[in-house]
Amino acid sequence: MDSVLAASGLGILIVMAIALARAMVAPTVYDRILGVNMFGTKTVLFIATIGFIMGRPDFLDIAIVYALINFIGMVAVLRFFEYTSESN
Amino acid sequence: MYLAKWTILLAVFWLLLSGFMQPLLLSFGAISVAIVLLVIKRMDVIDEQPRTIGSPLAALIYIPWLLYQIFLSSIQVTRLIWTGKTKVSPSIAKLPVSSVPENKKVLYANSITLTPGTLSVDLDEEEVTVHALESSSIEELEQGGMADKIAKTWGKKNG
Amino acid sequence: MSALDYLSAALLLLGFIFSLSGAIGLFRFPDFFTRIHASSVTDSSGAVCIILGLALQTNFDLVTVKLLFILFFLLLTGPTGSHALAKSARHGGLLTIPECQEKAKDGVS
Repeated sequence: MDSVLAASGLGILIVMAIALARAMVAPTVYDRILGVNMFGTKTVLFIATIGFIMGRPDFLDIAIVYALINFIGMVAVLRFFEYTSESN
Repeated sequence: MYLAKWTILLAVFWLLLSGFMQPLLLSFGAISVAIVLLVIKRMDVIDEQPRTIGSPLAALIYIPWLLYQIFLSSIQVTRLIWTGKTKVSPSIAKLPVSSVPENKKVLYANSITLTPGTLSVDLDEEEVTVHALESSSIEELEQGGMADKIAKTWGKKNG
Repeated sequence: MSALDYLSAALLLLGFIFSLSGAIGLFRFPDFFTRIHASSVTDSSGAVCIILGLALQTNFDLVTVKLLFILFFLLLTGPTGSHALAKSARHGGLLTIPECQEKAKDGVS
């Protein structure tokens, strides 16, 4: 069963790489934020999977905290862009 | 009354997350719950919304149904992603939300966004602006399956 | 491997397929608002499948509850984030495809 978990961890890493590539190469700033948001969601799942592979369920606490911080971070960045785009 | 509900909810949350039963950690939990309750009490000064905590039973009926809907439309969107970009016909429309109870409008908009293929762009008192990947999903929402489900699950009485 | 393990492996695979489709959709769809839809496939279906697949691996104790909490938070914050993003993009002046076509038509006539 460990190999299945490792494979799914690898799969999530691939998706994270694609999302990160999107965040680097994107037509608008909102596309970049979308890519970063997806990267964050996948990171949460990846941390959870890693916890299972290593047999340390404590990692799930980190995943919970990351899920919340990811959301708050994204909203903060959006606020920032909303105000700067108005002043320009 | 609602503060008592919050106390129970927060205490259960703490116990489920920590799982330790030593007196030291339990007292930490009690202190955290007290601080959060204090913050909730202070926030009531500026917040005029009804602050009920809905019954968990309704959520138990609603969530599996929502998961099923998400699964169905995910398959649809996945097929669109792989079969080509020329076929998407995005459309945008305003839908009335009057049939949904007052304090469940956010849940309704959230469910629309959660279902792949539809996205709520804007929400106000009377209507929600929905952007859809295909115009057929807008028609589906206009028939009101999701709104009816929410209205039926929670009832109109707490509106 | 027991039946539960097979079910869990199938769910993990399904979650991976959904996630990959969403990521590919980020590149394939024509405009920003359609790309949000692609991202919502990963945010909801991919997360649900992977978390449920992992939950079948546990001994159904506090760890399962923690996984369900993660799922709950993801399902709560994901759509709120997409909504904030879409609203902010509209305020920032980004148009959807139908609106662009309308504008082009108006410009010609």
